[in-house]
Amino acid sequence: MADLFDGYPLGQQWDEMFAAPGQPRPPYTGLFSSLQPMSGEELAARADVLSQTYRDAGVTFAHAGEEQPFPLDIVPRVIGAEEWSLIERGVAQRVHALEAFLADVYGAGQVFADRVVPRSVVTTSAHFHRAAHGLVPPNGVRVHVAGIDLVRDEAGDFRVLEDNLRSPSGVSYVLTNRVAMSQVLPELFADHRIQPVSDYPARLLAALKASAPTGVVDPTVVLLTPGVYNSAYFEHALLARQMGIELVEGRDLVCSGGQVSMRTTDGQQRVDVIYRRIDDDFLDPVHFRSDSVIGCAGVLNAARAGRVTIANAVGNGVADDKLLYTWVPDLIRYYLAEEPVLANADTYRLDDVDAAEWVLANLDQLVLKPVDGSGGKGIVIGPRADQRTLEELAVKVRASPRDWIAQKPIGLSTSPTLINGRIAPRHVDLRPFAINDGSDVWVLPGGLTRVALPEGELVVNSSQGGGSKDTWVISPPRPVAEPAPEHDVTRIEFTTADLPAEPPGQDPGPANDNAIAQSQQQQQLKDPVPRNLGPSLRTGPDGGSSSGATGASAC
Amino acid sequence: MTQSQSQGGQFQSQGPARVAGDRWRLQIVHRSQLRYGGPVRSSYNEARMTPENSSRQTTLRSRVEIEPTATVHAYRDYWGSTVTAFDTHGPHTELVVRATSVVEAGPEPHLPDPVDWAGLAAPDVLDRFGEMLRPTPLTAMDDEVVAAARAAVGDAGPREAGQLVCRFVYDRIEYLTGSTNVKTNAMQAWEKGKGVCQDISHVSVGLLRALGLPARYVSGYLHPKPQAPIGQAVTGESHAWVEWWDGGWSGFDPTNVVEIGSRHVTLARGRDYADVPPLKGIFSGPKSEGSKVTVEVTRLA
Amino acid sequence: MLSRIAESLFWIGRYVERADDTARILDVHTQRLVEDPWIDEQRACANLMALMGAPCPDEEADTERVLATLAFDRTSPSSITGALSAARENARGAREVLSAEIWESLNVTHNALPQQRTMARRYGPHSLFRFVRERSAMVFGLADATMSRDESWLFLILGRSLERVDMTARMLSTRILAGDAAPSWTLVLRSTGAYEPYLRTYRGAVNSSRAAEFLLLDRLFPRSVFASLEQAEGCLAELERANVREGHRIGVAGEAHRIVGRARTMLEFMQTDEILAKLPTRLDELQRTCSLASEAVTNRFFTEQAPQIWVPEGAL
Repeated sequence: MADLFDGYPLGQQWDEMFAAPGQPRPPYTGLFSSLQPMSGEELAARADVLSQTYRDAGVTFAHAGEEQPFPLDIVPRVIGAEEWSLIERGVAQRVHALEAFLADVYGAGQVFADRVVPRSVVTTSAHFHRAAHGLVPPNGVRVHVAGIDLVRDEAGDFRVLEDNLRSPSGVSYVLTNRVAMSQVLPELFADHRIQPVSDYPARLLAALKASAPTGVVDPTVVLLTPGVYNSAYFEHALLARQMGIELVEGRDLVCSGGQVSMRTTDGQQRVDVIYRRIDDDFLDPVHFRSDSVIGCAGVLNAARAGRVTIANAVGNGVADDKLLYTWVPDLIRYYLAEEPVLANADTYRLDDVDAAEWVLANLDQLVLKPVDGSGGKGIVIGPRADQRTLEELAVKVRASPRDWIAQKPIGLSTSPTLINGRIAPRHVDLRPFAINDGSDVWVLPGGLTRVALPEGELVVNSSQGGGSKDTWVISPPRPVAEPAPEHDVTRIEFTTADLPAEPPGQDPGPANDNAIAQSQQQQQLKDPVPRNLGPSLRTGPDGGSSSGATGASAC
Repeated sequence: MTQSQSQGGQFQSQGPARVAGDRWRLQIVHRSQLRYGGPVRSSYNEARMTPENSSRQTTLRSRVEIEPTATVHAYRDYWGSTVTAFDTHGPHTELVVRATSVVEAGPEPHLPDPVDWAGLAAPDVLDRFGEMLRPTPLTAMDDEVVAAARAAVGDAGPREAGQLVCRFVYDRIEYLTGSTNVKTNAMQAWEKGKGVCQDISHVSVGLLRALGLPARYVSGYLHPKPQAPIGQAVTGESHAWVEWWDGGWSGFDPTNVVEIGSRHVTLARGRDYADVPPLKGIFSGPKSEGSKVTVEVTRLA
Repeated sequence: MLSRIAESLFWIGRYVERADDTARILDVHTQRLVEDPWIDEQRACANLMALMGAPCPDEEADTERVLATLAFDRTSPSSITGALSAARENARGAREVLSAEIWESLNVTHNALPQQRTMARRYGPHSLFRFVRERSAMVFGLADATMSRDESWLFLILGRSLERVDMTARMLSTRILAGDAAPSWTLVLRSTGAYEPYLRTYRGAVNSSRAAEFLLLDRLFPRSVFASLEQAEGCLAELERANVREGHRIGVAGEAHRIVGRARTMLEFMQTDEILAKLPTRLDELQRTCSLASEAVTNRFFTEQAPQIWVPEGAL
């Protein structure tokens, strides 16, 4: 029987698991030894159970208008403690820099005066919302939740591919993946010390509460969803449930006199923080699309007046604009006086004629991304595209160069994935989630690893039919001197001496001859005193054993 | 009729007013009434009816009153305009907003030296004023018209050119109410050859930008009489004019071809009308039956 | 809880009960047409449609029409299909509050309707009616077993009880008002599931005034009008207790509570003869009670939904 990883092909790209054939990288040694002896069929069988668990639990994703179970690959992706520490620092650094940028852009605009970023990059962005100018959030946080997309290049270094500061999604799958995996592969969990992800909802709730308007004791937080027909509704419902907050739609909210309330059977209840999973454009018909029926009229001015907090803040899109991305390393230096921990992918702007010409001349070797695209739409991978696609692309780029950026294609790292009963390499990326509570940026250990299921496919986005993997961050070994932190525990200890001498028996129900006979027999046997008295009036043939049925005891 | 009888709700005068020679003290009562086709449950609105403070203008007092009563929140928007945001709830069939202001206004006391065309094309000027150079749907002008305007400017410098463009537009568009509406854009008005101050200003701004001058649309009030007797209330108007940057912000009134001075009170400025509407909002209910706007201006000093 | 969700639960209760009771009424009706050789089909159908609030011209009344209007019309919330679709739509938005089982049950029921309809065409409608009755029982059974007795449950049961008052009154009307085209009392009792309980209670042949009395006033039979009113009243009292607000404390019962309480009191304290003497009026009042109470509940607890269409004014 062949080993599971026999014949696993390694190419130019970095493989997450293997440095050389049969030689797993240090974080994967445990996984390798656990999985290697398994056969493809056995693993496939486990994978079926996994899929079934998901179907039963109703974990779905809306794809092409249909709800389908979310595809989870059974082979996890593992990240070592040290490597994770780098990612953690890099992600937090990036969030801090972008927070400072947003405060600046919607405030003083110092970053323009100091010529760090051209003003036009921001003022021509479709997501620069002038209506949010001058709006200062109560605790200064605008990016309550961020999803920073990372990929690993050929050299094995993590690079930032994209920042998502508006409504990054996918964390619900991180949570459900972990639960499903721990049910189907418990032995693997026993062998590894994997950092838990289950406290994400609690941390998010704490951060949202911390962002409430000043002076509010015990803030009311709600999650604003577009409704059941939205493709991410599953996530909205799960997070609301796990945070214990109300899941509301626009029509449940009303803004009056600058205060936002929700309509309950008990009248209108004040809302302090709105964790909204609705685009800016649909959020407030007063300032944005007036045909929006899923938003809440007046909410932006209420936030400006400091009566409610909108999380994530309105206008964050100007900082996750693909064009601005090229300036983020400069922003890190400018605002934090630090060197970026995580580098960008090599990216080229088309802002001057020479740059644009160079890109147009090399279209077949570059990846072109529309600045305003999302979900992987509109991306053209030069080396893979046919002549006609390239020509059409050239026309579009020439017409408005500001709407495009060009990147050198990165050979995304691969990870072993179960495909049709065999293990094969597939490209993956990583989306860690970061929560900013005003004093700290906490990064969820792991995040969502997305895997492109078709062979060689590089676009991993879930809306285009990708899958995911459970992502494990191995805990660093705990230093010996420190005892494990103990929560308040009430100790309850019993010994057998505490047990009652005669525990009450179960109620036998309506009278039944057998039972009576047996219980009386028990009584007899228990009596320690021998019944060897003198001649008695009645002595049966057995001398005292069974004839005592009517109660032989004389004492 | 004394001024205290002419309109209700005005401010009491505070004794003899002293103003600098070329400044006027003006009182403006701006009333905007929206009538709905039936009872309306709620509406959310923003009024930009509070005059600004600047080097040429001081707002002594300003008050916005709303019927039905509403909670009000004031803020400054991105363009620097003072906004009064309010919402109304409970059935009502009309909305009345009345802004009363007392302002001292005059011509711009000091304008920096003008730059030349090369100076206007400098990268940091282009960067700083990008938003005021880009055409907008309301102000974009066709190439032929731009060419004609350029010809009218000849080889004048930027400061002169600004006024020449305004006169060029004045000569070609006849002031006529009723031929256009609030949604008309610059090219539509140009083709009609008729329009109101909003249209004339949109066309001017569009041409100024096309020629390389960063330009702003200004919303405000005009006292219609150059020789205005003190204390006489006159029907004024909600007015619009333009400003362009040529080293400093120069203003001109293309509708009346006059300099901006003591008869002009500035409310707000932006890229075009859409950035500075005196009253905008949304409401739920039957269509409105239109709005009635009256502006009454009185020279106090 | 959110008004929107409360309103959804209230209407799920009403719609499912409506589907259930409509199925029962139609089952009785179609069975009669089969069993009784002298029946005037047209008249019976016309009467039934009128009583169900969907009158049609006499000439057009036949079983086909009855079924099309009251069983298969997707668009009408008075038809079985329409009511179950509406219930499911409401449940969709309230999924977070309903248990997964209840949602699934409603969803499965709704999805099975087209197939049930096909079978009904081929084999007769009885199987459809039975299916609907069983599925309704399942939904309420699941609610009973899996829902906490909080506001969500109270609104669900309130809706069900009010609808039951209305539908039981209509069922009684089919006997009282249809003259000689009326179904027998036995059939009416059967349709409400009351036949055996009636027999156990009265130990004797079916007697018209006793049957009417049973269906109206019996305190122990859960589908009687009295029992339903009492249950509705109980829900309203609980809801009010839970939602005590300033100025609405002691002594001031909600409007809905008053309406239902008044109807219940009338049944409780009036002499049976009095009630039976003016039965058609009483039945009409009961139907009116249901809709007035429903409106009052809406006004009290489901503050109006936000105006959805905004008209921009002033800017562009």
